Amino acid sequence: MRIAFFLVVLTGAIFYSYVAFADLGFLSRTGRLGPGFFPRIIGVAAIVMTLWALVDELRARRGPGGAFEQWRDVAVLIAFALGYAVLLRLFGGFVATFLFLLLTLSVLNPGRRLTNGLVAVIVPGVVYLLFDQLLNANMPPALIDLPI
Amino acid sequence: MDVFSDLMMGFSVAISPINLLYLLIGAMVGMVVGVIPGFGPSAGLAILLPVTFGMDPTGAIMMLAAIYYGAMYGGTITSILLNTPGESATVASTFDGFPLARNGRAGPALVMQAAASFVGGTVGVILITILAPMFAQVSRSFGPPEYFLLAVMGMLTLIVMIGSHWKLGVISALIGFALGTVGVDLETGQGRYTFGSAELIGGVYFIPVAIGLFGLGELFFAFYTGLHRTGTGGIVQYDRQSRFWPTAEDWLSTRMTMVRGSILGFVVGVIPGAGATIASLMAYSTERSISRNGHNFGNGEMAGLVAPETANNAASSGAMIPLLTLGIPGSASTAVLLAAFLLWGLRPGPLFMETNPELAWGLIASMYLGNMALLAISIFAIPLFVQIIKVPYRILGPTVVVICAIGTFSVHASFIELYLMFAAGVIGFFMRLYGFSPAALVLALVLGPLAEEALRQTLTISRGSFMIFVDRAPSLWIIGVTVTLVLLLPLLNRFGSRNAASAESAGG
Repeated sequence: MRIAFFLVVLTGAIFYSYVAFADLGFLSRTGRLGPGFFPRIIGVAAIVMTLWALVDELRARRGPGGAFEQWRDVAVLIAFALGYAVLLRLFGGFVATFLFLLLTLSVLNPGRRLTNGLVAVIVPGVVYLLFDQLLNANMPPALIDLPI
Repeated sequence: MDVFSDLMMGFSVAISPINLLYLLIGAMVGMVVGVIPGFGPSAGLAILLPVTFGMDPTGAIMMLAAIYYGAMYGGTITSILLNTPGESATVASTFDGFPLARNGRAGPALVMQAAASFVGGTVGVILITILAPMFAQVSRSFGPPEYFLLAVMGMLTLIVMIGSHWKLGVISALIGFALGTVGVDLETGQGRYTFGSAELIGGVYFIPVAIGLFGLGELFFAFYTGLHRTGTGGIVQYDRQSRFWPTAEDWLSTRMTMVRGSILGFVVGVIPGAGATIASLMAYSTERSISRNGHNFGNGEMAGLVAPETANNAASSGAMIPLLTLGIPGSASTAVLLAAFLLWGLRPGPLFMETNPELAWGLIASMYLGNMALLAISIFAIPLFVQIIKVPYRILGPTVVVICAIGTFSVHASFIELYLMFAAGVIGFFMRLYGFSPAALVLALVLGPLAEEALRQTLTISRGSFMIFVDRAPSLWIIGVTVTLVLLLPLLNRFGSRNAASAESAGG
């Protein structure tokens, strides 16, 4: 995973540099430093530094880090959080928050249905009052309106 | 106008009922942010920044600043009662704070940490009051070369403080600089890395990235480290009736510690990149070296708690000087504060205190009042914070996800920004996991456009010659200071960490 993360960063750095050299000029039409000047420096430096760090990583030869339990819990939370992003688009702020909290807490805090249910109702309520009513800010609107 | 009348004008702004209310809310929220382990002031600021958008800028900045320095007060409560620092700047407070609590002196430790924080914070604000106008005066002679060098100094000092993972710190900063180049190039009007997307013309928005990296990223990392599994069963009980207040000996034996910690903390805080964590570790090590009871540090020595507490609060005040007078943030937290200024159309810098006296002096005056409020809250609201510590992290975690998401959306009602925040959260988790520095990324994202603009202007002025950086006296000074810091800071950092590590092992 660690090496894979470095490779993703390296790929990003190469792509960034490619665009800097291919699409962005070093000088502008007036002869001043152009839009590509700074990105070229950043891109080349990023490639060099990432390669250097990658070589260090390969030399260090670390074993796979983290126990299964550690990864399981964080993977569950990340998966539910990403699912929440989708739910927000579909059902809007209030319903999506209720569903997200109910599902996530049922996995992370099992056996405490009353507590989980109360948190799943109270938190969206407080968030709605704070953002929508008190601060007059935007809550995500629903794409699919539920009959509630 | 002299400093005193400026400050009085600031007080007249700060004590309006609505601003006082914002200040108290900020102080309280800051303490709560500090109390929650794995959740630092940068995360708190980034998440709560959108909440302040409907507010008057002066009140909002006062509130955000109070969250920033309030977190320093709150973070120590868990250091003392749970042996778990609420945030990184209070790590050193666990070394003697927790042993004091275990020895039945939790009450005096909690009161002394509040008093030390108050002294550190207030000395820091007094020094801001005196020094900020002087810094602003000096920085008026600065041009593009100096601004570029200051940005470089901020990044370099932050990276050298990372220590053995410095290469990953550089990569993190480069990613931040790269993200800062997205959008329309202001000099030529050409789009960069927008790939035809209208959403990217304005650049990568700071708020979703900061909330994702600091809010979600830190949360995911806390779950990875198992913070949601460790309950609060280890919390040390304290007696509120008898033996709650410190003895005369506690006060007398630590009075000079408070003075030393405040001055050292402030000086370290002013240095961009160094910050409150380094200040607290250095103050602890210094105190341990010069104290007659140095051998007892790590076993519950009051000076061992007071030194880092005064230093981290003084440092958080000191960090406001480069922010207000140069517009250069020295840490992730002050980078979020700078973003808040920019979002309100305010540009901190040499002329900021002159062109926005009500806001600048109102903010400084509010820090005096905020420290007083935090002293009272720290002592009398301890039972409330103990209850917050007892809320299981597995319930707190999903709730934080909700606040991050709704907070991000509320800024521009943009689902793209919402998805960007979630992506930044996942990336932030892997960055923390593999030793990268989200703080360097965020700092570079804020400083990047400034540094690029300053460098291009500099090279235009000098017709492409880099000699301009050594021809100008202010530039030469900044280069000298930067080189000194880059050479000196790793040594001081090593000295602080080594002494702290031996104290930690002494305390078990």
